[in-house]
Amino acid sequence: MKNSLRALQRRTVAGAAAISATALMLTACGAAPTSTGSASASASDYTACMVSDSGGFDDKSFNQSTYEGLKKASTELGIQEKHVQSKADTDYGPNLRSMVQANCKLTVTVGFLLGDATKEIATANPKSHFAIVDYIDPKFPDNVKPIVYDTAQAAFLAGYLAAAESKTGKVATFGGLNIPTVTIFMDGFADGVKYYNQKKSKSVQVLGWDKDKKDGTFVGDFKQVDKGKVLTQGFLDQGADVILPVAGPVGGGAAAAIKEANAKGATDKLIWVDSDGYLTAPEYKDVIMTSVQKTMTDAVETVIKQDKDGKFSKTPYVGTLANGGVALAPFHDFDSKIDAGTKSELDQLKKDIISGAVKVQSPSSPQQQ
Amino acid sequence: MSATTLTPTSPKAAAVDKPVSWKVPVTLSVVAVAALVVFGSMAPGASATFGISTDRDLLQLPALTVSGVAGGWVCALAMLALAGYSVYLARAAAKLPAWVPIVFGALFVVGFLIWVVAGARTTSISLAGLIAGSVTLAVPLVFGSLSGVLCERAGVVNIAIEGQLLGGAFTAAVLSTVTGSVYVGLLGAAVAGALVSLILAIFSIKYVVNQIIVGVVLNVLISGLTGYLFSTVLTRDPEHFNAPGRLPIIEIPFLSAIPIIGPILFRQSVVGYLMYIAVAAVWFGLFKTKWGLRVRAVGEHPQAADTVGIKVNRIRFWNVILGGAIAGVGGSFFTLVAVDSFTKDISGGRGFIALAALIFGRWNPIGAFLAALLFGFADNLQSLLTIIGTPVPSQFMAMLPYAVTIFAVAGLVGRSRPPAADGIPYVKG
Repeated sequence: MKNSLRALQRRTVAGAAAISATALMLTACGAAPTSTGSASASASDYTACMVSDSGGFDDKSFNQSTYEGLKKASTELGIQEKHVQSKADTDYGPNLRSMVQANCKLTVTVGFLLGDATKEIATANPKSHFAIVDYIDPKFPDNVKPIVYDTAQAAFLAGYLAAAESKTGKVATFGGLNIPTVTIFMDGFADGVKYYNQKKSKSVQVLGWDKDKKDGTFVGDFKQVDKGKVLTQGFLDQGADVILPVAGPVGGGAAAAIKEANAKGATDKLIWVDSDGYLTAPEYKDVIMTSVQKTMTDAVETVIKQDKDGKFSKTPYVGTLANGGVALAPFHDFDSKIDAGTKSELDQLKKDIISGAVKVQSPSSPQQQ
Repeated sequence: MSATTLTPTSPKAAAVDKPVSWKVPVTLSVVAVAALVVFGSMAPGASATFGISTDRDLLQLPALTVSGVAGGWVCALAMLALAGYSVYLARAAAKLPAWVPIVFGALFVVGFLIWVVAGARTTSISLAGLIAGSVTLAVPLVFGSLSGVLCERAGVVNIAIEGQLLGGAFTAAVLSTVTGSVYVGLLGAAVAGALVSLILAIFSIKYVVNQIIVGVVLNVLISGLTGYLFSTVLTRDPEHFNAPGRLPIIEIPFLSAIPIIGPILFRQSVVGYLMYIAVAAVWFGLFKTKWGLRVRAVGEHPQAADTVGIKVNRIRFWNVILGGAIAGVGGSFFTLVAVDSFTKDISGGRGFIALAALIFGRWNPIGAFLAALLFGFADNLQSLLTIIGTPVPSQFMAMLPYAVTIFAVAGLVGRSRPPAADGIPYVKG
């Protein structure tokens, strides 16, 4: 009896060891920094690194666009690059530390969610440089450069366009989480619709976001694509016909719902966010009217170049309509369907926002913090 | 421990000897008074409108409009009457009939809907959309909880439901794209779920590793594996690996045109119909067949089962495999029905909600099914209410599914008892 018990224990331990070893191996696959040496022989020892948030570098959205910037910098400047994906909120600190230990000169962290981890690690490692996309904090030490976007400006244009293109007089937006980098889109969108209503004395309604109450419809994360679809069906049931999902890959769920409705004869439209969805999510191109773009690729490349040339500064980079950091993407297939009058109004509106004649305000905007 | 009988003690038989419980009457009374205050005296002045028919229904019923004040008072007073009836029965030491809490719960939901919709910015909501969306959100939960029922009734704790769903979703997307047939993908999803289960079965039954640890590790493993393959293979060439297409929606003529129940019962994909069939089949199998009796015996008292010649570990092994296959089919819902591509961690923690539905449903397939529907309903209601713009903050609304669960488990369902040998490996000797 005693012997068999001992044998049993041995088996248990061996089994547990085997299974946890496999798990470790696989997690390691996902998390170990992947480095790509530059092809050129004169490859400098300058290394730029990047840590994603839990969305991953293939989110067809802001992690992906940022990573493209790193890749571009690596080929064009002939530098080394390392990148690591975070799987959960608890990965941010360890991933950042591993980058510092890997001798990264500049580490770009992607997203609001990495704000606290970046502040902590940057304070502890004053000799390393950091850049963080989409987050700004007055308490950042001198070695952190925020790369932020006044997305509300481009979203304002999208709101105006949506209101002009809506046949039902109802447009909608929803977010992944109620965080500033998401709600800034929703603020701009709602104000754009409001501006349209004032100009044209119409009363187009915005569903899913109440700017004054700072509350609206949220999926709860950036993963549950099917919930995004059910949510969008809810909006369509309530009569909305232009939808702006600000939820990364969950936008695919919204696109699926709109495709289904259009197959039954509706003419509902989608506005993609972060990247030009027509190019990054081509499977939905027949419903994507336009996208509210943040051109992160170029901004990231510029910041890396500046740091490599020894011109690092903590002054934030703020993407605006004026410097092309944010933009309304081309209409592509919808180009012929959008009224020429609306297009020229949008061009004028863009000029007015740049000149300051039309003020776009959002409590989440980096310029008002 | 004497093993004279194989049937588990029925909760009904135990209740006869117990003194009269005041828990239900007290819960009902407290809720009824709260309803009187909130739905009645704080009723919004506007009326609530509920859309019943969709454009595709044969029978076009007009939308239902209910005055916030009148509807609120009627529901609250009816709830109070039921609470009074339950107090009266408890005083007379009589047993409370099962319909009382059910009707009470339904009245609460109706009263709440009238109150919240009448108080919103847009005072109309599509009832058909609310119900249809609830079922859509519930489908993966139902499959997941059925997987749990099969495993745990045989005495193996299945924490790996999340991994089985995710494995099914991934395999369905890839196999459908590669072979060009969504049905092959559906089959592949079942096999993938079963393979995840195979690891669970080997480690927990053969090597008697702690079942909870194996389950947790499996979830991490599948999430890592599918995430890795997604990043390296699927995103590089989505045309050839991640464009599965959709399972067609099969409409049953005439029946599918019935308002509200038509779309949920008779306008579904294969996976939707399989869900109803699976719930019925698992219930029938577990409670009406020799196989089911053996499974339950193994889960309650494996020694006793062994002494009468039942192969305990073989039954456990096959049940775990079958459970995995069912969860795998549920996972295919994400990539073949809801949307037509795989994205990282698309199951989004629903495996854990399925686990909660299983416990809430007292390890019974029909109970788990109803619990999953309730979770789906609360989830969808919560988002629809933010769409129409309720005065209640969205964070409170997000609590709704969990508040409903706590209320239902603590106040109405009573003690939820797992199979006696759940989670305990069986070693002869």
